[in-house]
Amino acid sequence: MGALPPVAPAVLACGEVRTGLLPSFQALDGRAAAQLLRLRADERVRVSERPNLYALSPDVLTGVDCRLPTSNGAKVRAVGTVAARAALTEGRVLQATAYFSAPADGPDLRRPWGHYLVRPGLVEPFGKLPEQATAEGVLRGSGRGELDLGMIAEGLLAQLLRHPLLDHKAPFKSRRTHLRWAARRAPEGEGPSLERFTLAEDGLRTVSLRLPEHVPAAAAAGLCEDLALHDWLLTTVVHMLDTSRLGAADGPAAVLALRPAVDHLLHLWMPRAHVDQDLGHLWEVLEREPGFTRQWRTLVQRIRDQLAVQAIPLLHEALTTR
Amino acid sequence: MLVFAASDKGGTGRSVTSANLAYHRALAGDDVCYLDFDFGSPTAAAVFDVPDARQAAEERGLHAYLIGEVAEPARIDVWSETEHRVLRTRPPGSGRLVLMPGDVSGGEFATTEDNLRRCVDLLLRLNSEFDLIIVDLSAGRSYAVDMVLEATSQRELSGVEARWLVFHRWTRQHVSAAASLVFGKRGIVAGGVARGHDEEALRGVIRFVRAAVPDPESALWSQVSPTQSAWMRECDRDLKQLASTQGIGYSLVLGSVPLEPVLQWREQLITDEDVLDSQIAGRETWEALSDLAGRLTDDKFWEQP
Amino acid sequence: MTDAVFRETTAEPRTQAVPLSHLSLELGHLYMEDFEAGPERLREHFAEVRIWVDAARASAARRIGGKRPRISTCFLIDDYFTRFSTPAELIPIVLDEAERAGLVIDYLARESGCAVADKIELAEAVMHRLVESPPPGSYGSRPPVSRTGWLPNGQRTPALRPALGEVKGWQPPQETAARNHSVFMDVELWSDKDEQRLWSCPFLAAVWQLARLGLLRHLGEPVLAPRPWTGGDFPHDWDQLPPLLRLNATAAPFNAYRTCTLMANRFLAVEDAVRLILDQVDVDAGALRQVAERSAREGVAVPAAVAQRATYVFYEEPARDSSREAS
Repeated sequence: MGALPPVAPAVLACGEVRTGLLPSFQALDGRAAAQLLRLRADERVRVSERPNLYALSPDVLTGVDCRLPTSNGAKVRAVGTVAARAALTEGRVLQATAYFSAPADGPDLRRPWGHYLVRPGLVEPFGKLPEQATAEGVLRGSGRGELDLGMIAEGLLAQLLRHPLLDHKAPFKSRRTHLRWAARRAPEGEGPSLERFTLAEDGLRTVSLRLPEHVPAAAAAGLCEDLALHDWLLTTVVHMLDTSRLGAADGPAAVLALRPAVDHLLHLWMPRAHVDQDLGHLWEVLEREPGFTRQWRTLVQRIRDQLAVQAIPLLHEALTTR
Repeated sequence: MLVFAASDKGGTGRSVTSANLAYHRALAGDDVCYLDFDFGSPTAAAVFDVPDARQAAEERGLHAYLIGEVAEPARIDVWSETEHRVLRTRPPGSGRLVLMPGDVSGGEFATTEDNLRRCVDLLLRLNSEFDLIIVDLSAGRSYAVDMVLEATSQRELSGVEARWLVFHRWTRQHVSAAASLVFGKRGIVAGGVARGHDEEALRGVIRFVRAAVPDPESALWSQVSPTQSAWMRECDRDLKQLASTQGIGYSLVLGSVPLEPVLQWREQLITDEDVLDSQIAGRETWEALSDLAGRLTDDKFWEQP
Repeated sequence: MTDAVFRETTAEPRTQAVPLSHLSLELGHLYMEDFEAGPERLREHFAEVRIWVDAARASAARRIGGKRPRISTCFLIDDYFTRFSTPAELIPIVLDEAERAGLVIDYLARESGCAVADKIELAEAVMHRLVESPPPGSYGSRPPVSRTGWLPNGQRTPALRPALGEVKGWQPPQETAARNHSVFMDVELWSDKDEQRLWSCPFLAAVWQLARLGLLRHLGEPVLAPRPWTGGDFPHDWDQLPPLLRLNATAAPFNAYRTCTLMANRFLAVEDAVRLILDQVDVDAGALRQVAERSAREGVAVPAAVAQRATYVFYEEPARDSSREAS
């Protein structure tokens, strides 16, 4: 006898992660992080202190009944719940993810709402799911009236930003990034793979994955949050170096402009810290090409060198006035 | 920082001047966002010369966002989307310059709880991204004014610095109207206090900008007769006296913008090329705008008088 | 989950299980005015209830194949909306009258315990778990329930757009799960007055159902744990009374796979609203799984949808005292 309602295996999981600096003068400690992410009074916020401070909210659901975004214009109505969650890394970088998974097909009628509620994060299509077109549609972004993951993630972020813990005095200005991802089922017998990571304009990134059936959508969301976090770090530090006008601006001004990176960002680089064991190795593709960590090391080195160079006159002064 | 640009009535050059301020700050390296809250008669697309903005604003502008029709208002990167010949080349070291257009078809609307929440969310979000956010408000005591007064009185925005610029022309009627817009019975201060603002604090963040001011000493008027010149000086003196008795005297003025045909007629950004190469715009205007832009964030000009 | 060498307890969610009966049988849901009418009113009530209790027990036994079902009984006293008398005066009368009808009240609860029990805000926690059934066309906008305090079973009549909107005539509301025609319902979950939130009767009753169904947790721990009654007097202040009291030491567990509530038919609208709420609550997944697994092991699988687990008997109200006087 079925203990749990039978759930059709998902063939597609999609999500969008929005990543940005927490608008607070100081980074939040573990307790404050847990307080911020307590989206439900009765459910625990998961807090890890090793290997870095990381807090993850419980999932909250949003009901949807609308068309799925499709790349070929196919009109597919779907009903279910989209899960959303928020994560805070080292009390500094805030992320919100909205994600769902979908089975290959569903009934042609909407069922009672209780049916969908006991299948959190599952969105069932009416009829057959055009897997590839939907995956592509999600990555491209939704049109009017189509399932809008960005809207759900943004709604969660906006809710968090209104929390009284936040003073909105962030140590520096920065842009958010949006990372959309779609994971189709891997062919039988094959392991997970990262097929494509695209850097688009306006802070948009897209990721295509292939995942075996046993990998839950939440694990894929965790991987993509990790990718988005590190991509945001790269994007933000590169922008800081750009605007600091190293070389062009006078030394102390450039150092001043880079100071927030040293204070708030340089210690955050830690790929795979909280990624599901089965998926951690997908990072290797990006380390080979284009080499995320390689670029990060170069940036960090540049900043440290610059600080060292600026320190020389001070050192000189100290020595000569002795 | 949030800067709200208000005016007593139309024709003060509020939109075009505040757009120029945004431009100057971006040139100086700040990331600047310009919000067109002039619902009903959005002009920013023309000022920044971004015809695409009209298209984008057709259904995804600020108005559509505030009433909940779209999740995010359209953003236009001015440097990359303008058709203005000079603006198209983004100067090195400049910051971002982003326009959020109002809707072409959107009219005024009442401030509901939902609209207000969206307004707060938007300002919070932009504050984390931009150094300066200039909000161009419809003239008079409009819904837009009410909404931002309400929004800035919310706890969530209490940590975000906000300042007000009130534009008015340099005439008797405009001076009185500007004073009444701010200090009148239904003015900005009274409206703010009714929404929970601290009166003294609110008064402290409001400054006036005198627009289209003919400078009697300017070369423009060097050809006028001595009688005319004397009359102009007298009028200017009278106006200063009036402004002072109306409570909007010198200590509350952030700056003046000279009477400038390019601002009045072309209603566009004044670039350094307009001043240096084609010389259609006056150097005084460029400098006045530059000074004003600097004073926006210079605390010296915002101390209690 | 693989066996990791390093573990952090704060990083791993866990849900503690609760013991479960087959049926939680509520013997009445009385408000202060019912008590005000005197012991005769209670006597009438329990005499009527007794008949349906026997039926409910028989039904539960049939459902598990004729074995002896685990059934616990409970009784809820309203101390949230109005307060009357004291526990010390009132509870002995209730227990006497129940006994007279041959009934045993295993557990006694007070309604304010559904709002806050042992400093845990149960009602607020359930509010956070509301997931509105989306009307067709919902593509991700935030449902307004947490701001408005109203929960519908469909789409409301659109508000008339002020000013420039097109002028349209009245449009009907629409029940999302309508069959041909709508039965539209909109339930007020709370009202706010002077910074004080007053939960509505249907909302607290929904919390009460979830509690009886063993689906509430606080940070993984069970809530509204029954406190044993050691005999002796009941306190003189409702606040001194534990939110849930076990009066019968040999009672079956308070929580159960299903609930059956026996109440006067004037509560029909309230309980219909309770179902509407239960249909839109995303209950603790861990608790839901434990109940499903445990009931399946016992061979008495429960309906997947939570609202389906609550059943009712609505009986005709005892005659009012006034009418009796008149006769």
